[in-house]
Amino acid sequence: MRFVLKTNYAQDVNLFLHNGQRFWYGLLAVAVLLAPLMLDTFYLGEFAFVYIWAIAGVGLMILVGYTGLVSLGHAAFLAIGAYAHAWFLTQGVPFVVSVPLATAFCAVIGYIVGLPALRMTGIYLAVATLAFERIAAWVIEHWESVTGGHFGMRVPDPTVFGMSLDGPVPFYYLCLGILALSLFAALNLLRSPTGRAFIAVRDSEVSAESMGINLARTKCTAFALSAAFTGLAGSLFAHRIGYLAPDAFTVQTSIQLLLMVVVGGLGSLQGVVYGAIFLGLLPQAIAIGRDVLPQWIGEIPGLEPGIFGAILVLFLVFEPLGIHGRWVKVRAWFDQFPLYRRATYKRQRSYLRTERVR
Amino acid sequence: MSEALFEARDLSVSFGGIKAVRDVSFAVHAGEVFSIIGPNGAGKTTIFNLVSRFYETESGSMTFDGVEITNVPPHRTAQLGIARTFQNTELFEHETVLTNLLIAHHVHRRTNLVTDLLFLPGARRQELDFRRRVEDVIDLLDLQGYREQPIGGLPYGARKMVEIARALCLEPKLLLLDEPSSGLNPEETEDLSFWIEDIVADLGITVAMVEHDMNLVATVSNRVLAMADGAVLATGDPTEIQNHPDVLRAYLGD
Repeated sequence: MRFVLKTNYAQDVNLFLHNGQRFWYGLLAVAVLLAPLMLDTFYLGEFAFVYIWAIAGVGLMILVGYTGLVSLGHAAFLAIGAYAHAWFLTQGVPFVVSVPLATAFCAVIGYIVGLPALRMTGIYLAVATLAFERIAAWVIEHWESVTGGHFGMRVPDPTVFGMSLDGPVPFYYLCLGILALSLFAALNLLRSPTGRAFIAVRDSEVSAESMGINLARTKCTAFALSAAFTGLAGSLFAHRIGYLAPDAFTVQTSIQLLLMVVVGGLGSLQGVVYGAIFLGLLPQAIAIGRDVLPQWIGEIPGLEPGIFGAILVLFLVFEPLGIHGRWVKVRAWFDQFPLYRRATYKRQRSYLRTERVR
Repeated sequence: MSEALFEARDLSVSFGGIKAVRDVSFAVHAGEVFSIIGPNGAGKTTIFNLVSRFYETESGSMTFDGVEITNVPPHRTAQLGIARTFQNTELFEHETVLTNLLIAHHVHRRTNLVTDLLFLPGARRQELDFRRRVEDVIDLLDLQGYREQPIGGLPYGARKMVEIARALCLEPKLLLLDEPSSGLNPEETEDLSFWIEDIVADLGITVAMVEHDMNLVATVSNRVLAMADGAVLATGDPTEIQNHPDVLRAYLGD
């Protein structure tokens, strides 16, 4: 078991608490950087896809896991980011400008969507964002001059300073780099006043206000940031699928995004990555399973959404803190072996809530 | 007596047909401990909720430090220098004591969204500064042992102290304590009375509190406001109030 002796305040501010963390995250960085040498093209593409999911997941985690606002409309931000980026590219905007533009555009839309959210929480907010998703889908289907309607639109190849990023290896590094930057930005957010304001709003709105936090502005900022990250993922997603059509972004995409952050573990950025790996690789696992299992199982209609739904329910019932929450427990078991007590993480019921003043 | 830091004039609020607070006027002077007492349902906490702007006042007005606060949004009162605690504690449950105290530094924030996202040197300096100031409060209230612990696992007495610590981190001019001693044992209550005296004497913070423990009230308060059924019965020093006929009637009946 490790005890960290803190001798200066910078240790509470730095990203890594001790050298053990530096070592393991460094090893992980080397592994993902060298992955193209070891993996074949197919798996490289799948990993790039996982990274794209993770970028979108960072966005949704900020909203759901840290600010406590549920959204079933994030497929719309993914779509808006993808279409905006693709449209900018067809208008001749260079790639390095188009991505930030699409991201900023999503942030503005997110801020506006956040405004009605000020008065809603929980299931009501979920339904409102779902409605937003439907509206966005309708606009995409009918604004043919920009989106190509049902026929869709081709996404121009990504080129940076005359260099094509279309091949699997450059695209892998592009997604990896943007994921790393997104995680870095999110970590910075969480160790500074903006991110702490989100957490305050999640845990107690009354208290947050009496700490001088502007609820309205904080919630809108959370929505804008969340939409920005998801839109950023959308612009990469556009290149990944190559041809945009409305049926690429449905309610099921929204649910998958939400599934990712819940299964990964609400309130942790590691959880985003676990969730993205889970979400990105599960369809492959199901596909492999279809080949192996008896034919009558493989042919059950709706097998994939059914498995997704079943997993979500199982996690909510047995491990609400997701894969990350489970990992924390496993690590504690190893840390404290053989003295681990099962009751350490037993959920306690707290009766200490004050009567809400509103 | 120095001039009023906070002044309420003819405050009234009602819920449905019940007049929870009726024409209440009082002033809190800089550097004093001002207590509000009264039987359950007298409207004491309601007054605090009016001051921190969680309830809309129906009539009357409030000024704090020369600023009219009758219609400001709730977060503005904190920015102006009013900090508060809650009757049954209202902490950020999933976070550690340290994070709870850091959140309270929000009012002192000098960075914006962009500098936070990039964690520019200014943001880093600010974090180190906040971290150091949090430690001063931890030292003052002897919370060293709880620093890294999540709120969810803390005993009630510790939560009460963390809440006071969090309010102090705002570095306010006026501290509103809503029943600070409820749920504390006699020893902890005695500690609390010393801390309240320290807060006033060393930090120069004015304290207004709602309290049932008459011992604590008599020990620390300079002035006491007694209420019943939403109206003021009397204002005066602790001994005066304890012997006031109207106050005795409100507590003991005729």
